[in-house]
Amino acid sequence: MTVTATTMTPRTRPELRQSTVAQTVALSKRSILSLWRQPSLVVPSLIFPLFFAALGTSSFSRATTAVPGFPAVDSYLDFALAGSVVQGILFGSTVGATALAVDIENGFFDRLLSSPSTRSGIIVGRMAGGMVYGCFQTVFFIVVLLPFGLSIKGGVAGVLTMAAGGTILALAVGALMSAMAIKTGSSEAVQGAFPLLFIAMFFSSAFFPKETMSGLYKTLAYINPISYLVEGFRDLTIDGFSASAVVRAVVIPAILAMVAVVLALWALTSRLGAR
Amino acid sequence: MTALNDTTTSTARSVASTRTFPASVGLMRRSLVNITRLPSAFLPSVLMPIFQAIAFSGTFFAITQIPGFPTDRSINWFLPLGVVMGAGFAGIGIGFSTIRDLEGGFYDRLRLTPTPRMSLVTGPLLAALARAALVTTIVFIVGTLFGARLTHGPLGLIPLYAAALGIAAIGTGWGLGLAFIFRDMRAAAIMQLTFFLVIFLTEAQTPLFIMQGWLENVARFNPFNSVIRLSRLGYVDPPISWDNTWSGLLTIAVFTLLMLLFARRGLTRLSDV
Repeated sequence: MTVTATTMTPRTRPELRQSTVAQTVALSKRSILSLWRQPSLVVPSLIFPLFFAALGTSSFSRATTAVPGFPAVDSYLDFALAGSVVQGILFGSTVGATALAVDIENGFFDRLLSSPSTRSGIIVGRMAGGMVYGCFQTVFFIVVLLPFGLSIKGGVAGVLTMAAGGTILALAVGALMSAMAIKTGSSEAVQGAFPLLFIAMFFSSAFFPKETMSGLYKTLAYINPISYLVEGFRDLTIDGFSASAVVRAVVIPAILAMVAVVLALWALTSRLGAR
Repeated sequence: MTALNDTTTSTARSVASTRTFPASVGLMRRSLVNITRLPSAFLPSVLMPIFQAIAFSGTFFAITQIPGFPTDRSINWFLPLGVVMGAGFAGIGIGFSTIRDLEGGFYDRLRLTPTPRMSLVTGPLLAALARAALVTTIVFIVGTLFGARLTHGPLGLIPLYAAALGIAAIGTGWGLGLAFIFRDMRAAAIMQLTFFLVIFLTEAQTPLFIMQGWLENVARFNPFNSVIRLSRLGYVDPPISWDNTWSGLLTIAVFTLLMLLFARRGLTRLSDV
């Protein structure tokens, strides 16, 4: 009997890097496909923000001229776009995190962990699906609302900035909810946390200018980072392209994303350490 | 033999009719006990209207500055909307629990008992009314703490409770009917979506005279607009009168009847399966 010993050649750094990238890309594809193949999960995050935009435009158009402190806009639709985008992304990004929690519940996450795939790839791959979807949502809302009178003063540059901001915001929300999914391992807990995001959005200037609010609501809207993020998107729509608007539309979500990604990785490390 | 059959049938009917109410009360008590045993299923129907009333009144505070707005307190405008939403969800929540019972097999066991069929509709209806009354009371108290005031005194609570209980009854019929037809959680999505649309395509956010475009036309012909108006009678400036009350009451009466018939018909079909 002859035993043939094969020599294991250590992989080089570029090979490892390539492998990490390839794994992340494969897992990203999986998360994007899972969104594509389950339209019932994502359609509400496209329909509801549009419905609220239509409802608000018909309900509050007179307020744009009758309420002191309301910014000068052609219509409430221009004002509402930013809120719709943020609302849609909050809805949509929760879907990806819920899918991650389901992976944990049904054991697929453990199989991934026991495979030689990179830890960061597992997380980044799942978030990548949410980022692509966030970008798509931003463009989708703009394209759908344009025939109904939406005008974007920021032009093409404004649209591109909003798409970038939407993508990063999706990463931020997706990472935050993924941290919760990894920490709890429960899809119910992720869905249960969603109302908190919704509440945070309501106590901001997403639907009405914070200058028109009073008392505690006004204070909450002023300290809520969502207000400034939404106003960045809004300024690109109603005022035009400016450095200040770009900073608010892109930098605020980027800061939130960094914090949320660190939280998600910390949750993963502590989950692995607990085994 | 025929006489014996007749006697047996009439006795059975008599027993059934006398048992309908106790059986309904029993089913209502079971549903109310579930509030403490499964609070996660009930709490959203209390927290959601409270949040809605508070968040809407804070966010859209400035709309009361529009000339002609029927109240100068935004919480007065949005509290009744929160109550109606909460009461409606208390009603369709009964539909959710019925789906759970259908999926878990409890409903089959219930149907095997000599419980009168009608009690399977009236029991959940009583439960929904009790839940809606509880939700309305809690939202009223919290809303009052947040600054809501009855413009015409305690009398204003009557239309508020009438609208809440009416919407709960309609929601129960709708929820039960859909639960009996679909027998799974697909019905839950339809219940929520339709209820949400029906309520929001009214003066939910602003009065008709402020609206512009498609919503004004839809809200003007949406019968549930009169129910929303009924709920707000005690909180807005115009006086409470029969002229602005009857249409809401009529809508509640007609839709309650239709929805309970829908539920009863669904139950009969369920028995045929």
